[in-house]
Amino acid sequence: MAREFKVVGKKVERVDALERLIGEAKYASDIYLRGMLYVKILRSPHPHAKVMRIDTARAEALPGVVAILTPENVREFALQIRGTPPLVPKPILATTARYVGDEIVAVAAVDEETAEDALDLIRVDYQILPFVLDAEEAVKPEAPKIYPEGNVIQDVTDSINRGDVEDGFKQADVILEERYKTHLIQHTTMEPRVTVASWSGKRLTLWDSHKNPFRVRTDLARALNLRVNQVRVLTQYIGGDFGDKAFIERQHLLAALLAKRTNHPVKIEFTREENFFSAHHRYPTTWYLKYGVKKDGTLTAIQVKLYADLGAYYPLDGAAGSLEVAKYVYRCPNVKLEGYNVFTNKPEGGYMRCVGHPAGMFPQEVHMDRLAEMLGMDPLAFRLKNAARKEDGDQDRKVPFASIGLEDCARLGAEKIGWKANWKNPGTSPGPIKKGMGVAFHACRHGGISSPMSAVIKLDPDGTVELLSGLNDSGGWQKTTMAIIAAEEMGIPYEAVHVITGDTDTTTDTGPPGGSRGTTSAGLAVIAAVRDAKNQLLEVASELLKKNKEDLEVMDGRVIIKGEDKSVSFEDILSKAPSPIVGRGSGKPPQNVALLAFGVHFAEVAVDTRTGKVEILRLIAAHDVGRMINRLGCENQIQGGAIMGVGFGLMEKQVIDGQTGICVNPNMVDFKIPSILDVPMVEPMIVEPEDPYGPFGAKGVGEPPYSLPAPAIANAIYNAVGVRCNEIPINVRSILEGLKRG
Amino acid sequence: MDEKNKRSKEEKKGKGTPLRVSRRSFLKGMGASAIATAMTSIPAPSLPEAEAALPPGLREAVIALNVNERIYRLKVKSHWTLLEVLRRDLGLTGTKKACDRGNCGACTVLVDGEAVYACSLLAIGMEGKRILTVEGLKGAEKLHPIQKAFSEHGGYQCGFCTSGQMMAAKALLDKNPNPSAGDVRAALAGNLCRCGAYPKIIESVLSVGSKT
Repeated sequence: MAREFKVVGKKVERVDALERLIGEAKYASDIYLRGMLYVKILRSPHPHAKVMRIDTARAEALPGVVAILTPENVREFALQIRGTPPLVPKPILATTARYVGDEIVAVAAVDEETAEDALDLIRVDYQILPFVLDAEEAVKPEAPKIYPEGNVIQDVTDSINRGDVEDGFKQADVILEERYKTHLIQHTTMEPRVTVASWSGKRLTLWDSHKNPFRVRTDLARALNLRVNQVRVLTQYIGGDFGDKAFIERQHLLAALLAKRTNHPVKIEFTREENFFSAHHRYPTTWYLKYGVKKDGTLTAIQVKLYADLGAYYPLDGAAGSLEVAKYVYRCPNVKLEGYNVFTNKPEGGYMRCVGHPAGMFPQEVHMDRLAEMLGMDPLAFRLKNAARKEDGDQDRKVPFASIGLEDCARLGAEKIGWKANWKNPGTSPGPIKKGMGVAFHACRHGGISSPMSAVIKLDPDGTVELLSGLNDSGGWQKTTMAIIAAEEMGIPYEAVHVITGDTDTTTDTGPPGGSRGTTSAGLAVIAAVRDAKNQLLEVASELLKKNKEDLEVMDGRVIIKGEDKSVSFEDILSKAPSPIVGRGSGKPPQNVALLAFGVHFAEVAVDTRTGKVEILRLIAAHDVGRMINRLGCENQIQGGAIMGVGFGLMEKQVIDGQTGICVNPNMVDFKIPSILDVPMVEPMIVEPEDPYGPFGAKGVGEPPYSLPAPAIANAIYNAVGVRCNEIPINVRSILEGLKRG
Repeated sequence: MDEKNKRSKEEKKGKGTPLRVSRRSFLKGMGASAIATAMTSIPAPSLPEAEAALPPGLREAVIALNVNERIYRLKVKSHWTLLEVLRRDLGLTGTKKACDRGNCGACTVLVDGEAVYACSLLAIGMEGKRILTVEGLKGAEKLHPIQKAFSEHGGYQCGFCTSGQMMAAKALLDKNPNPSAGDVRAALAGNLCRCGAYPKIIESVLSVGSKT
């Protein structure tokens, strides 16, 4: 029987709507402290160069310059980035520049312009080294070595070998091999990176535009040899994250050290250009796909080789994150996945929404489309034939899916767009402006449940609730979602919950909103904390009502005696409780089950064969969210993720000049993110299979919507004009050239 | 004086790395002519002469800014943008700095009723004009209908572009109380939202239109 919810799934206004809409919410960039100094960073203009000598004398003499840090001053500090051994840790300032934008010197001055002027007075002598910008070039033995150990990082965790891929190709009637490429892009958060640091005695406070204040706190304390409780990180409002603001970064240490050295608060605020040069990026990938199918459409073999170009530093196993897409969504007995993480002299790769999946989804789903055509099958029917079922689950670990709404997504989306009636063979649309439809399937391992999980609930004297959650609100309505979960479980109005986030002093670590884990992981901890608080309420109430706890239950802000008319309000209980009621919640990820979120997108496009212009007429985004907790937040995440995915597929590309290694379009005009003119009214469709694990059955939804539009649109473009693109972004030029090729 | 000349020469050479096309150097590099233009566009200001401590080409002036129906008298340097002055000097941080180059619209405010980018205007040229920021959108008691609509329809996610979106929407609705979806798209085309809240932004603005 379907459960009746009071708040879950309803349309509510955000808990922090007011402060966000009247301009009162203070983002880190809005912090201006008395006596604050401004820091500017001198960056390498060379993609690969050894710093031979730095002369700061003239900069130091400039009135208003307060402190200068060179690599020499910060030698004893380093950023230990996960996964780096056996490589050297990343230094705080570089003595060898490994990309254009690498940080060399930091200047603190009384205002921004003095700090900028000072940079011009610093002289750095470089020994220019040979550089390499392409991953496939970088793996060749003769390539310039970016690190002494070489350019290939040997720890791809998802390189797997399932069944026997050679045997699989023998069984196949059709084998298709293709090479695909995806490109370098930047998150382009509206708020660039910014850190404000201030010391008070032995305590350091950091205001930061960051989604994981606990990670910054712990890593910063370790790097500075402080106790963890000497550092407070405040991140209440952040102007977008999308994965860029996830790690400890150089700017955190530079700000802390400069604030200490100068005895003043300091602010490091990246310009838009600096964000393009030196923040994280979605790393480029090169793919070799070889898939085998039988005449009846059954996949017999999947073989993938991938080069993930992680740029100059190594914060994550990017190849593994991408290979994942070939593991879950289709059933196939013979799979061989091989990946290489490669260093190049390009900006740093990192997490970006759905991490490696968008890069992997484009090749796989275009490849599937090609196979369907070679077999003469409808691309939707071909996918459905191979789509994983619940019992398939993780075919390597041999554990079932917790729940799967993949087929429902496909069915509902197909009905909505009228696939059966309107899908026609490629290139058959009449006239110069041709219409076409495309589809893509996705299984997202993100959206699961992961540690740490914690929450604290405090009950106030009037029965209202303070929820202390370490889950940062990165803009994905996280605070509101947590309030909904707490209110539903507590049986009180949603408005009676006050949520506190973004402060390491008052909340506990429940991990970041990332990997679509916020709603699920932090939400389960909230439920546990509410249950703990309710249990304490029942204990006090049982004394007040002279009843066993088992005879009582919590309902609508009161404790009632089951089957009787008698009850006591939270307010009364709290006034008589011997000590404050504080609920604690935690949780553990479930074992022996594969937690995945599924999605299917359908795109309808119109392609003008005279101009190559693509108009997206419809984009239907059907997602298995387990249970929708927060209606507006969920729709916003689906629409916004899909719109970002449109940018990835059709618009955005960070161009690095091959001769100089310099990014030539580090601004929001030449690096084109979607504007309100570029996107359709994305139509979200919610699929809610019964899921026993998430809070009220919820799964994460932040990331999956990003991964689907690029392939769905690429396939729709092919369906419209018969042009196949093996590389994104697909733009006017790729279409016109494709039409010319015929 | 020697140091000053040296610095001014360096600025002319346009030195620095290719990474920093600094808006300040640009504004400074525009030199006296641009400043003069900015100065002449101000209605009869009483400006003191360039102060000895300032780099060549820059001036300081005391101006009166009318922001949200309040008059602020303050000293500004001739190359400071309206955005910097609003945020840093007046503490009105609801207007956001996202690109500082007139590319994104996050800093949109109304000047005499027109939606403009505060990062692309010099503060010194704003005397005698009526400036409205997001802080002035709300009445004493009640939210502005645009703010109410954004809240009800969820027309925002991280909120960083939102003040700009709402100010651009106000400029539209003041002129065209019942816009079509196409009108909304055209009016908000200069306001980027990386969260991609566009569908709900359109719904929000349309809902205000249909109410009036």
